[in-house]
Amino acid sequence: MNRRRVTVVAAAVGVIAGATGLGVLAMPAGAGPAPVLPDVSAEALVESVLNAKPAAFGGSVAVNNDLGIPVIAGVPQLSDGASTLRMWTDGEGKLRAQLPGGDSERTFVDDGETAWLWDSAEQTVTKMPHGSFEERKPELKPGEQQAAPADPVTLSRQVVAAVQEYSDVTVDGTARVANRPVYELVLTPKPTEKTVLREVRVAVDSELRVPLRVAVLTNGTDAPAVQVGFSELNVGPQDASLFSFTPPAGAKVSEPESHEPTAEDKAAAEKAITEANPQVIGEGWDTVLAARVPQDALTFLAEGQQGEQRGNGRWQEEGEGREVDVQGLLRQLGKPLSGAWGSGTLITTRVGGVLIADDGRVAVGAVPEQVLVDAIGQVK
Amino acid sequence: MSALVATRAPLGRQLRSELRWILRRPRTVIGLASLCLVPILAGVGLWFAVDGDGPAGPGLAAIIAGNGLVLPVFTLFLALPLLLPLVGAIWAADGLAGEAQHGTLRGLMISPVGRIRLLGIKAFGVATMSLVAVTLIAFVGAITGVVLFGGEGMLTLSGSTLSLGEALGRIVLTILLVTVQVWGVAAIAMAISACTEHPLVVMAATMAGVIVFAVLGAFSALDWLHPYLITSAWQGLVDVMRDPLPTEELWRSTALAGCYIVIGMSLAAMRLVTKDN
Repeated sequence: MNRRRVTVVAAAVGVIAGATGLGVLAMPAGAGPAPVLPDVSAEALVESVLNAKPAAFGGSVAVNNDLGIPVIAGVPQLSDGASTLRMWTDGEGKLRAQLPGGDSERTFVDDGETAWLWDSAEQTVTKMPHGSFEERKPELKPGEQQAAPADPVTLSRQVVAAVQEYSDVTVDGTARVANRPVYELVLTPKPTEKTVLREVRVAVDSELRVPLRVAVLTNGTDAPAVQVGFSELNVGPQDASLFSFTPPAGAKVSEPESHEPTAEDKAAAEKAITEANPQVIGEGWDTVLAARVPQDALTFLAEGQQGEQRGNGRWQEEGEGREVDVQGLLRQLGKPLSGAWGSGTLITTRVGGVLIADDGRVAVGAVPEQVLVDAIGQVK
Repeated sequence: MSALVATRAPLGRQLRSELRWILRRPRTVIGLASLCLVPILAGVGLWFAVDGDGPAGPGLAAIIAGNGLVLPVFTLFLALPLLLPLVGAIWAADGLAGEAQHGTLRGLMISPVGRIRLLGIKAFGVATMSLVAVTLIAFVGAITGVVLFGGEGMLTLSGSTLSLGEALGRIVLTILLVTVQVWGVAAIAMAISACTEHPLVVMAATMAGVIVFAVLGAFSALDWLHPYLITSAWQGLVDVMRDPLPTEELWRSTALAGCYIVIGMSLAAMRLVTKDN
């Protein structure tokens, strides 16, 4: 009889052990004690980040999105939740990134000469030889390259000075990210700033001086609204075979046509920009981007989105000439608002808001409602 | 009790006799034979789907064209949510509740074999038969896949092609991972099996549990509960088809199933030793 009792006790211990195991598995992995690192000033830290040489590494990036973007049925968007990205780089321009999604995967491989994008769900490969896309970028924003000083030390001073005008930059101790010791660089808006953001935390690797985690925290909550950070990081040379890609047999390989922007394209873009009249209102953290979107562009956007959704949903019918109720779509997302400036719809997320007036004026910023309303009143 | 220890039969013979006992039942043979139909049906279905435009389906089905060795993996993941838990529950139900129903469990309990050893032998039978069932599905799936779709290597979800040896390694890994998940369900079924003498109750309760878990897993409001649900780990097993192999989720799901095995077997042991013959 005694033996039976021993067995029952052992079995009970087994049940408890199993249940504890479940609890341990469900718990997020602890970060461990904060490492002891030599003190560093915020300026020196930023400077070393800007000076850092790209290193070879492979790892997983966890993205935790809690932006609170309103959900609208059937329209694809940045959904809240966690996702993981796996990436490898040899530090010399070759890159591989894999984005697992459910039971499919997208793989991006840049072998130094050609960039490949593989989509397992569609069995397609997009081939982008280098040089077909880069040339177009500088033309859109001329002068930006020249404006940047070549000297990283000067650049970092400028960056820190610019940031310090509106925020407090501090090094808030150390932590561990992906099991590597990091410095926590914290940007806090000055109390006079009218923003919904509380602080931005950047975890900088103590050795590589590479940002390993960026978290945006908002007023009122402890959990970050967005956090992007490495959950696993292996520094060192990576397997060279990771940076080559051979399109699998049976996959459709497409090469997007690369064409120089024609004079018509440029004229159209200029016209659109002039019409939109984008302007920046406010400065620092309360910067609000405002513009005037032509009504037909808004309709076009909504149609494009719906058309894309049709395509995803395998409804082959063409959606041309459909009437799209843009305002109705917007009202599903946000709340109606009106005032001396007019009336419109306010869409709020945890990191800011968008105010879209019925006449096409738009104001976007990481600011509370009142600042957006003030800004949209200034749009001509 | 100690005087009886010397008269115990060798363990190997007991395990062999348990397996022979299961395999000699006609329903076991018929059941295993019908399990072989699953990959064949899936393969034929996909074969027709591949002929159409675009990918044959979502997920793994999308990469099956010309890639036959994916079929065993596809079939196992197809069978994992319902069919394989049912298979595990059937073995577990037959093991204890079935014997109790026929009155033969009483004979086993009063025989000079420790009850823990009895449970161990029964668990061995269930575990082996689960492994056999999973391996059979994968084997028939591999043959069917190569015949219908061809392919010398294996195209992964990541777009890289594995050599034949690596591909077979991935299939074996899938067999092991899926089997451990079936063991997790079967261990809970063993605990239920020890409490009742109606095999149907065991199967119904196990399947109901699996379905309830799947339903709970569908509500995002209950996401705090999801890490505890064995069913929620099954989605992540598809990582086995990625390259390079991400092991984190595979380890986690295996450890989760391991916890279920420990809990299920402990509960079964607790019930069996306190059972009055």
